Amino acid sequence: MRLTNQEAFEKYASEAQERWTSKFGGDRWVINVGISECSKAKGALDTWSNLQLHLDNSGLDYELHQVGCAGWCFAEPFIEVFAPDSPGIVFQNVVTDLVPELVQAFKTGDFPVEHAMGVRGDESFKGIAPLNEHPFLKGQHRLLFKRAGEIDPDSIEEYIANGGYAGFVKALLQMTPEEIVHEVKESNVRGRGGAGFPAGIKWESGRRTQAWPKYVVANSHEGEPNVFKDRRLIESDPHLVLEGLMIACVALETPHGYNYIGGEHVLALARFQHAVDQAYELGLLGDNVLGTGKSFHMRVRSGGGAYICGEGSALMYAIMGERGQPRTKPPRSVEEGVWRRPTVLNNTETYAAVPSIINNGGSWYASIGTEQSKGTKLVTIQGPVARIGVAEVDMGYSLRSLIEDIYGGAKEGYTLKGIQMGGVSAGPLRMDQLDVGIDFESLEEVGAMLGSGGFVAFDESICAVDFARYLTQFNRYESCAKCTPCRLGNKALLEIVDKVRNGQSPNEVAALIEATSENIIDLSLCGLGQVAPMPLLGMMKAFPDEFEAHFRDGTCPQGQCPVSQPKLRLEPVAAD
Amino acid sequence: MAHGAPASEIDLQPLRTILEDRYNPENYQDSLELIVQACQEAQHLYGYVPKAATEAIAEHLGVSTNRIFGLLTFYADFLTDEPGEHTMLLCHGTACYVGGSQKLVDHLDLRYDVTSGKTTRDGTLTVQIVNGCLGVCDLAPVAQLDHHDYCGHLTVESFEGLMDTLRSESKAATVEDSDETD
Ligand SMILES: Cc1cc2nc3c(=O)[nH]c(=O)nc-3n(C[C@H](O)[C@H](O)[C@H](O)COP(=O)(O)O)c2cc1C
Ligand code: SF4
Ligand code: FES
Ligand code: FES
Repeated sequence: MRLTNQEAFEKYASEAQERWTSKFGGDRWVINVGISECSKAKGALDTWSNLQLHLDNSGLDYELHQVGCAGWCFAEPFIEVFAPDSPGIVFQNVVTDLVPELVQAFKTGDFPVEHAMGVRGDESFKGIAPLNEHPFLKGQHRLLFKRAGEIDPDSIEEYIANGGYAGFVKALLQMTPEEIVHEVKESNVRGRGGAGFPAGIKWESGRRTQAWPKYVVANSHEGEPNVFKDRRLIESDPHLVLEGLMIACVALETPHGYNYIGGEHVLALARFQHAVDQAYELGLLGDNVLGTGKSFHMRVRSGGGAYICGEGSALMYAIMGERGQPRTKPPRSVEEGVWRRPTVLNNTETYAAVPSIINNGGSWYASIGTEQSKGTKLVTIQGPVARIGVAEVDMGYSLRSLIEDIYGGAKEGYTLKGIQMGGVSAGPLRMDQLDVGIDFESLEEVGAMLGSGGFVAFDESICAVDFARYLTQFNRYESCAKCTPCRLGNKALLEIVDKVRNGQSPNEVAALIEATSENIIDLSLCGLGQVAPMPLLGMMKAFPDEFEAHFRDGTCPQGQCPVSQPKLRLEPVAAD
Repeated sequence: MAHGAPASEIDLQPLRTILEDRYNPENYQDSLELIVQACQEAQHLYGYVPKAATEAIAEHLGVSTNRIFGLLTFYADFLTDEPGEHTMLLCHGTACYVGGSQKLVDHLDLRYDVTSGKTTRDGTLTVQIVNGCLGVCDLAPVAQLDHHDYCGHLTVESFEGLMDTLRSESKAATVEDSDETD
């Protein structure tokens, strides 16, 4: 079906909405199963097929319904059960072995409270507490993740039934490009890819450059080792990202949109491509969209296994079929980007914020968050905490509350030592430094960094020197080798740290590290090299005693570095 | 997914079909944009990007094989040598590091002389060490086997257990094969 004008779209939307509401109202059991890369890893596909088997035998009238991930990794695989005339109940850790017991319980009508995570709505139901009161969700504010885990990511109809593409239609038919940019500026949404540059200002510069064609590009590369938010957003709600990109195309008055997705994110790639195909079928992409005479096209591109391709200029070379290596700036990409044309590049999450800004207005968005950091932020946690997952909180939300309440603090049997902030680009905070807001300014003030929002909890068994080595090694390995300070400087830095780990610190080692770092920071060409030494410097600052023990005494208090390990001599497997 | 199809047995037809169906550049600019994904298709089909596939892609897109090799060697995901019977993506992202993946990386190096992209000498396993996060940190340290099964909470011991299983499976398969040819 192709929608050819606004009425057709509105008719489609209201019918979709009706089908959506009646889906859950009737005598039928609807059972949502979350299918994402994360839940698949935990056996969600087995759960799906076993549910099918047992429900077929149960005689219940039912429908299995695929949904995306809802961000609660700790609860995967999850299902949500809509019994006739009942609110949705989410059950957690529904491994395939649990299925027979659950289906039996459905038949008798009593739901096993011990496996329930919560019930939708504000009231308890049959002894099951509201989902909103679950400690993982209580402090969250879900704007971007609103539909995640509730709609089928492969269905454009379900997206539209839940308010999808209204922002695009409004932008296309009721607003001038200047008005769109005005709202985005008013919202003051800042780039979610790390640097925090205001998106509206970038769009305005892109409009100002007088060269055509222009390009709009989403950065869904996500090659950092510490974060997994963008791929989940795409896996759960791909049309939201696509809609944001399409609105940017309207604002830039260009038909050319791209999403560059890291090649490792297989499911995200497939779901985004599917979303694009569906938008073409419905006539939201293509030529003469909704009878306006305007064209919008979207291409999906990908590369893999090179962290540096997330850097703006490198990403553009990667799209152009070249080795993804950064170049000097200026010219900035809004002047010369893809195919040397004006290009607006934003992070996936930045685009995802745009539809709600268009629907509700920039000032509405600007009312969320802090003075200078607006809106909500997707954050992920890694390491030994009780509840791993993707959370969405207002900018300025307390870091301590995020770690202790939402993520549940240390996992049983672990004592946390600190949180690595800003991934491979900044230093950590100790547990006594967590009373700070999650926003660009507050974190920078304390020497940490919001970055893309991937936090790593590490426990007492982790040696700060060894961890710093890991982060330095990452940057050294991922250096694209184009410029010398980064290519050789990081290698030198790694060699120094390795000497320290081996209990053979050179004289004045702290000064040596600082001097080497300074050269790398000052002389490197791109953002990778310019921050590569930060994790090491940050670790030194946060855990000076531990470094001192290595430097001075040649010992590793945690017993993790080679200096304190018995010499392992493993015999290599004999050659054939 | 096929793994380690020997170079002599590469059937280019499936790749050609995909290229003809879905890789139709409008101009040279498009051709350049499509190279990496075309190579991903080849790796998906054959488990690596064989030279013959590179040539087929170059011919279809009208680009030089040199350019393709330049990309294959830049993007760490690509294998240009025939992999072993199984391929493992070993996550070395931060969650996995905190969970102990460094021990696995060191073990592979010390015990098997295997670094990223390399294959054990007996041809059982090719390991690709992934620096980015595999996105299933709840299972850290974690590896993905043959692009399908996840092995979570890995230790050196459980990794060795897995290796034993893989080796005995491949032995059983060899015995069966030789039975058939007898
Ligand atoms: C080494 C390096 C890697 C980067 N990786 C990413 C990435 O994976 N995703 C991303 O959105 N931005 C990444 N960035 C930031 C981009 O260069 C760019 O600032 C961003 O995509 C712009 O979008 P935003 O303003 O919406 O954040 C990276 C930067 C550097 C220096
Ligand atoms: S700083 Fe490093 S990553 Fe950036 S261009 Fe130079 S060598 Fe490449
Ligand atoms: S549950 Fe979706 S990211 Fe883990
Ligand atoms: S860091 Fe290994 S799965 Fe995330």
